Amino acid sequence: MPDNRSARRRKKDNNENPKNSLKEKVTEILELPKEVVLNVPKITMIGRNNLIIENYKGIIEYDERRIRVNTGIGILKITGERMAIKEITSEDIMVEGELLSIEVLK
Amino acid sequence: MLLLRLWNYIRGYVIILVEGFFLEKFINICIHRQIFLWDIKKLKNSTMRLKVSIPGFKLLRPVAKKTLCRVRIVRKKGLPFIMNRYKKRKAFVAGAFFFIALLYTLTSFVWTVEISGNKSLETEFILDKLASMGIKPGILKFGIDTESAASSLMLDIKELAWVGISVKGTKVRVEVAERKQPPEIVAKHIPCDIVALRDGIIKSIVVKAGQEKVKVGESVTKGQLLVSGAVETKNDQINTRLVHAIASIKARTWYEVRRRVESKAVMKERTGEKKDFYSLMLFTKRFDFFHGEAPYENFEKIEIKKRLSLGGDIELPFELITDRYYEVRLVEKELEIEEAKQSAMEEAYGEAVAAIPENAQIVSTGRNFIEDGQGGIDASVIIECIEEIGVAKEIGGK
Repeated sequence: MPDNRSARRRKKDNNENPKNSLKEKVTEILELPKEVVLNVPKITMIGRNNLIIENYKGIIEYDERRIRVNTGIGILKITGERMAIKEITSEDIMVEGELLSIEVLK
Repeated sequence: MLLLRLWNYIRGYVIILVEGFFLEKFINICIHRQIFLWDIKKLKNSTMRLKVSIPGFKLLRPVAKKTLCRVRIVRKKGLPFIMNRYKKRKAFVAGAFFFIALLYTLTSFVWTVEISGNKSLETEFILDKLASMGIKPGILKFGIDTESAASSLMLDIKELAWVGISVKGTKVRVEVAERKQPPEIVAKHIPCDIVALRDGIIKSIVVKAGQEKVKVGESVTKGQLLVSGAVETKNDQINTRLVHAIASIKARTWYEVRRRVESKAVMKERTGEKKDFYSLMLFTKRFDFFHGEAPYENFEKIEIKKRLSLGGDIELPFELITDRYYEVRLVEKELEIEEAKQSAMEEAYGEAVAAIPENAQIVSTGRNFIEDGQGGIDASVIIECIEEIGVAKEIGGK
């Protein structure tokens, strides 16, 4: 029991950015959409051929086999085969193709 | 997504090739400047193919300059480009409009008047009445007041119980229901006699008013006085009293029909030769094309009418009429005697039954064949009925 309690305290202590955690708590309590408030991307994948990234910042690299997208949580690296950007607007990007992996690079 | 694609097609878009080393930058700037791009595909040698709307394409030039990319149009797609192509063809556009206008004007006329539901009334007669009311082929269909036309048609033709007029396409559909004619009844206060409707032998007489003039078992002929409305009194001082005779008189009646049994029949056999003559019906005028005399000595003529119509109810005033002549050979055929007898009998029976009024009760039916001694045979049907034969007739009337 004491072990458990100390672990919880440690977790709390780890949250060093108090501003961010407060924001997070408020959105959690008010059930607001996180991607809007926290400026993080919402990544939706339909099957293995469609990927929609909402709330992104910009494209860094675009190739048939590799796409790198800048987002609020870092650089999103998508690899796959015969990938194409089906649609791109200032809010979202829709990727189509045979997807193999999604990585988040800090 | 289909809706979006359709919208893009209507707005028009171009497929372009972008060549350069900073393609990602190119895309980012485009997004930043609110230029909508879609279907971006990376090709080899640092080129990519993408689609962009027409207004978007006009904004692309400065972006390309900034990112040192070259932009080349591969294909133009969408409605604006097609429209552009037809802008030069003025006659074509004019023709299209003319066609629509012509179609509209032609379909705003009435081309046919169809009458259904009439049994005893002639179709021609109703058509004539309608024409005198202004409903005939060739008039504008917007001017028709169906309700007032229906009611005035009802007033005009007494035999109609109901009239429904509807305009469907270029067709005016007139549905009628005929009234069943009630028998002419002599009003109760008018004195009348009762006379025989047809020949027969009296079976029973029940008199409620009047004086009977015939007895049961007596044979009567058509029009004979059965019950007199003039009641004579024994007292000579008082004149005869006139009453409205009421009586139920039943009589045996016979319906006989004879039919000659035809053992030989002339049959028409087509030889296979045929010839067509064409005519064109324009509005109500008929144009014949190269019509000659009937090409064969013995022929059958068939008229085939083909009407130009758009869908079910929209008919246009053009009609192609084909007069088709078939050459025929007249062949005399010996019929099976039994078969011929049978068919003659059927025919005779059918005719006899048709003559019997509805309220008559059939008592017996006699069928036989009568030979006339010269080789001919007659099929004879005699149907015996019991029926009401008394009919009121005004005294001194017709």
